[in-house]
Amino acid sequence: MGAVEGILTGFEVALSLEGIMFVLLGVFVGTFIGMLPGLGPISAIAIMIPITYGMNPTLALVMMAGVYYGAVFGGSTSSILLNAPGISGTVATSFDGYPLAQKGQAGKALAIAAISSFVGGTISVVLLMIFAPVLASVAVSFGPPAYFALMLLGLTAIASLSEGSTIKALIAAIVGFMIATIGIDPQTGTGRFTFGSANLLDGIDFLVIALGLFAIAEVCFLVMNRRKKSVTNGKDIGSLKLSKQDAKEISGPAGRQSFLGFILGILPGAGATIASFISYITEKRIAKKPEEFGKGALKGIAAPEASNNAATSGSFVPLLSLGIPGSGTTAVMLGAFLVLGVQPGPMLMGDQPEIFWGIIASMYIGNIFLLILNLPLIPYISRILTVPRPLLISLVIMFSLIGVYAISFSTFDLYLLLAFGVLGFIMRIFAFPAPPFILAFILGGMMEQSFRQAMTSSGGNISVFFTNNISLVLIILSVISFAFPIIRNLRKKKAH
Amino acid sequence: MKKLLGVSFLVLMLIFLAACGDDTSTEEDTESNEDTTSEGDVDSEENGDWEPEQSIEIVAPAGAGGGWDTTARMTAQTLTEEGLIDQSIGVVNEPGGGGAVGWASIANKEGSPYDLFVSSSPILLVPLNGQSEYGHEDFTPIANIIAEYAGFAVREDAEWDTLPELFESMKEDPSEITVVGTSSPGSMDHIQFVRFAKEAGVDITQIKYVSAPDAGGVTQLLNGSADVFSTGVGEVVEQVRSGDVRLLAVTSEERLEGDVLSEIPTAKEQGIDETFVNWRGFFGPPEMDQAAIDYYEAKFKELSDSDAFAEIRDNYNWEEMFMGSEEYEEFLDQEKESFQEILDELDLSEE
Amino acid sequence: MLKGVNRKLGLVIFLLSAGYLTLSYNLPTYPYIPVDADVIPKTLGWILLVLSIALFFAKDQDSEEQKARRHIPREDVKALLGVFVFVFIYITLFETIGFIIMTAAFVFFCSWFLGYKQHVVNALVSILFPVFLYSVFVFLLSINLPQGILPF
Repeated sequence: MGAVEGILTGFEVALSLEGIMFVLLGVFVGTFIGMLPGLGPISAIAIMIPITYGMNPTLALVMMAGVYYGAVFGGSTSSILLNAPGISGTVATSFDGYPLAQKGQAGKALAIAAISSFVGGTISVVLLMIFAPVLASVAVSFGPPAYFALMLLGLTAIASLSEGSTIKALIAAIVGFMIATIGIDPQTGTGRFTFGSANLLDGIDFLVIALGLFAIAEVCFLVMNRRKKSVTNGKDIGSLKLSKQDAKEISGPAGRQSFLGFILGILPGAGATIASFISYITEKRIAKKPEEFGKGALKGIAAPEASNNAATSGSFVPLLSLGIPGSGTTAVMLGAFLVLGVQPGPMLMGDQPEIFWGIIASMYIGNIFLLILNLPLIPYISRILTVPRPLLISLVIMFSLIGVYAISFSTFDLYLLLAFGVLGFIMRIFAFPAPPFILAFILGGMMEQSFRQAMTSSGGNISVFFTNNISLVLIILSVISFAFPIIRNLRKKKAH
Repeated sequence: MKKLLGVSFLVLMLIFLAACGDDTSTEEDTESNEDTTSEGDVDSEENGDWEPEQSIEIVAPAGAGGGWDTTARMTAQTLTEEGLIDQSIGVVNEPGGGGAVGWASIANKEGSPYDLFVSSSPILLVPLNGQSEYGHEDFTPIANIIAEYAGFAVREDAEWDTLPELFESMKEDPSEITVVGTSSPGSMDHIQFVRFAKEAGVDITQIKYVSAPDAGGVTQLLNGSADVFSTGVGEVVEQVRSGDVRLLAVTSEERLEGDVLSEIPTAKEQGIDETFVNWRGFFGPPEMDQAAIDYYEAKFKELSDSDAFAEIRDNYNWEEMFMGSEEYEEFLDQEKESFQEILDELDLSEE
Repeated sequence: MLKGVNRKLGLVIFLLSAGYLTLSYNLPTYPYIPVDADVIPKTLGWILLVLSIALFFAKDQDSEEQKARRHIPREDVKALLGVFVFVFIYITLFETIGFIIMTAAFVFFCSWFLGYKQHVVNALVSILFPVFLYSVFVFLLSINLPQGILPF
C-alpha cells in the first residue's frame, strides 16, 4: 500500500463518527489528567490502559494517542498560573508564563501556550505524515558520541540563560549537575551519594527539583508579600485577546521550534523536556531583545510549548516505525499497544496501515479539539489568580505536595521537595539563577552517560567524538555557541 | 466572594459527577460478584479454611507502565473479571531503588494476607549488589506466573551466525566487541550474557558492557555503536521480523513458539549448556499464614490456566511458567546461588 | 576577612565542594570500564572548588534590588518558619492521618495563619478542595492516596 493510500485510510478512520468520538474522549481525558498535580502523560496512559482492554485496537490507540498529547497540552496550565509545573515538559514554560500571568495577563499567557501547542502539534503531524516512513533511520542515527555532543551544545547556553554574575550561573549549573550524579550509576551499578538510602538509588525525580526550585521558592516570596493584593484587580486577567503584534511575535518561534522540537522528539532519550529547554534557549539566543526573556516574553512561552508538543508527535516516529520506546512515556504507550495485541515496529505500516495512519491522521483532529476545548476554559481557570494571597499560597503548596506524592508515593520525596524549596529560596536571595541549575540537571546526567558509553565502546579512545560526523558537527557548533557571546562582549568593550 | 462561591459550586458539581461515576462502577462490581459467588463457595471448600474478607492490595515495586506494573495490573484485572477472587484487588506503585523501596515497606507488613507484590530476578540481584536490605528469603514466595526469555541480538550484517562463533571472536579479541544492555552491570541484562559467555569459556572480566536505558540498546545496535544486544526476546522480535536484527540464540530450554521465534535456536542446541529465564511471580509479606498461601496458590494456578490470561500472555510475548510456592522457593534459592557465583567471579558481590 | 557576601558564599560553596570531593574519592572502583563512576564527580568537585575560590575573590556588585532582597523583616521570617512547620507537620502525619483530613487542616490553618479572615469561605474551600481531589484520584482514576483514619 502506498503512502497516499495509507494516508487516505488513516483519514477514513480518523474522520469516522467513532474515530472522532474516541479522539475527543482521549484528548479530553488527557488534558484533564494533565492539569492535575503530578499527573502527566505517563500516568494518564497507564490509567487508561485497563479501560481499552477488549476494544477495537485502532480506535483504542487513536484514543490513547489523544490521551498522550492531550496530557502534554494540559500540563502548561499550572506552570503558567502557579509556577508549579505539573509535568516536566512544561517547566521551561513557567520561565516566562508565570511572570506574564503575574503581570495580570494570565489569559494571554494561557492562550499563547494553547495556540503554540496547537501549532507545534499540527506542524509536527504534517512532518510525521510526510516523513514517518523515512525518519526511522534518523531516530537511530545518534550514537553515544552524538548524544554527548548534543548535550554539550545544550549546556553551552548556560551563560546565556541568566543575567548577572557568570560565576554564580556556573556554580548553579555545576551543583545541578552534581545532583544529577546521585543514585545508581548505570555504567557500573555503583550507588553514588545515596548515603545508604534506598530512596535515593533511582536518583532524584526532575519534578521534585522543578517544583521545589520554582513553586515552593516562589511561595516563600508570596509569603513575604502576603498582604499585597492578589495580582492586579483581575478585571481582564482572563482576557484572551492577542493583538496583531502579539500574533506576529509568536508566529516565528512557534513555527521554528515546532521543527526543532519534532527532531529532538524523534531521538530516543531526548524527548519533550529536553526539547522544550533547548527551544527556549535557542529563541532567547536569537532574540533581538534577549533581556525580555524571563520577564514574561511571549516568545518565551511560545517556544517551549510549540516544542514540547512537536516532540510528542516526534516520539511516535521511533515507536511506530521501529517499536522503540524512546522515553518512559512511550514505553507505557508501547504497553498500550501490546495489550491490544498490536506490535508496533517496522512491520506495522505494512501489516496494519489503518492503525499506523489512523493514529497519525487522528492527531490533526485531536489538536483542533484541544484548542477548541482549552480556549473557552481559559477565562475561568485564570480566575484562580484572583483568590486572596493567603489562600492561594496554601493551595500552591498543596498542589506541589500532591504532585510529588503522585509520582513516587513516598513521603521521602515530600521532604526532598521541601529541601529543594529552601534551596531555591536561598538561591534567589543570593542571586544564583535557577534555570542553569535545572538545565544542567537534565542534560548533565545524560551527557555523562553518553560520554562514558562512548568511551567504553572505543576502549578509552577519546577520538571517537571527532570521527563521528554528527558528533563532530555538534561539537564545532558547541564551540561556536560558547565562544560567540564572549567575542561579542569583547567587541562591545572595545567599541566603548 | 460570589465568584468563590461559584467556583465552590462547580467543584461540588464535579464531585457529584465523580461520585456518580463511582456508583455505577460499584454496581457493576457487585453484579459480577453475584455471578461468581456460587463458584467462590465451591472453591473455599476445596481450598481449606481461608478466604479474603477485605480488599487485597498488590504492590508493584516500580513506577506505572513497567513490567512489574503491567503484570500486577493484568493479573488483578483478570482475577476480578474472571471472578476468581470476589474481593476487590488494588494495584499500588511503590517505585524506588530498583524495587528496594517497595520491598522494605512490605517487609513491615508481617503476616498480612492482604498484601501481595510482584517481582522477578531483581529481587535476587539487587540484594546481591548490596542495594536492598531484603531479598526473596525475607518474603513468602506464593507462585510464579510468567516467564520471559532472553536473547542475544546482532545486526543482520554481523559476521557471526551462531552464538559459539561470537564467543570465539570474544576469546580472540574481547576489545573489539561491545555488548549493550538496558540495565547496569550486575543486573539482569549483564548477568544473563555473562552466564553464557562463562559457560563457553570466555574470560568474563574482559567483556565490554555498556548500559543504555530508555531503549538505547536497540538504537545502539542498529547504528553500530554496539555489536551485541543482550535483552528480552520480546523487545527485539519486531526487528527480527523485519530483518534488521538477528537473534543468535534464545536462552530457553527448548525453542520458543511463534512464527519468527520458532526459527531461532536455543543456546543449548548450539552446544552451550546454559539457560536463563526471567521469571515473574507473586510474593507475600514475611510469615504469611499457610492457609492464605494455599488459597492464593490455587487462585494463581486457575489464573494461569485461564483462556483470558493466555490471551494476555500472547499480547505481551510472555511465556507460561507456573510454579507453586514450594517449588518456587527452591528454584529461587538455586538461581540466587548461581548469580552469586558469577558476581563473585566479577568481584561485584556485596553480600 | 568575611565582610563581603561573596566571601561568605564562597566559603560555604568551598566546603560543599570539599565534602562532595571527599565522597567522590571514596566511591568504590569498578575495574571493567575506562571511565569509572568517580571521574565525572571528581571533575565536577574540582570545578566547583575553583569557582568557589573565584567567587570568594570576586567583588560584590549587587544592585540595590538584590540587597533589598537579602533583607528579610523579622515578621516575615516568622511567617516563613510558620509555613515551613505547617508543611513539615503535614508531611510527617500525611500517611497516618490520611490525605483528606491533613489537607483540609493544612489549607485551613495555613491560610488562617497567613492572615485570611473569611473563615467560612476558608473552611468551605479547605474541605471541598481535598475531597474533590481525593475523589478524582481515588475513585475516578484509581490512584490511591493515603486514606488514613477515615473509613473511605
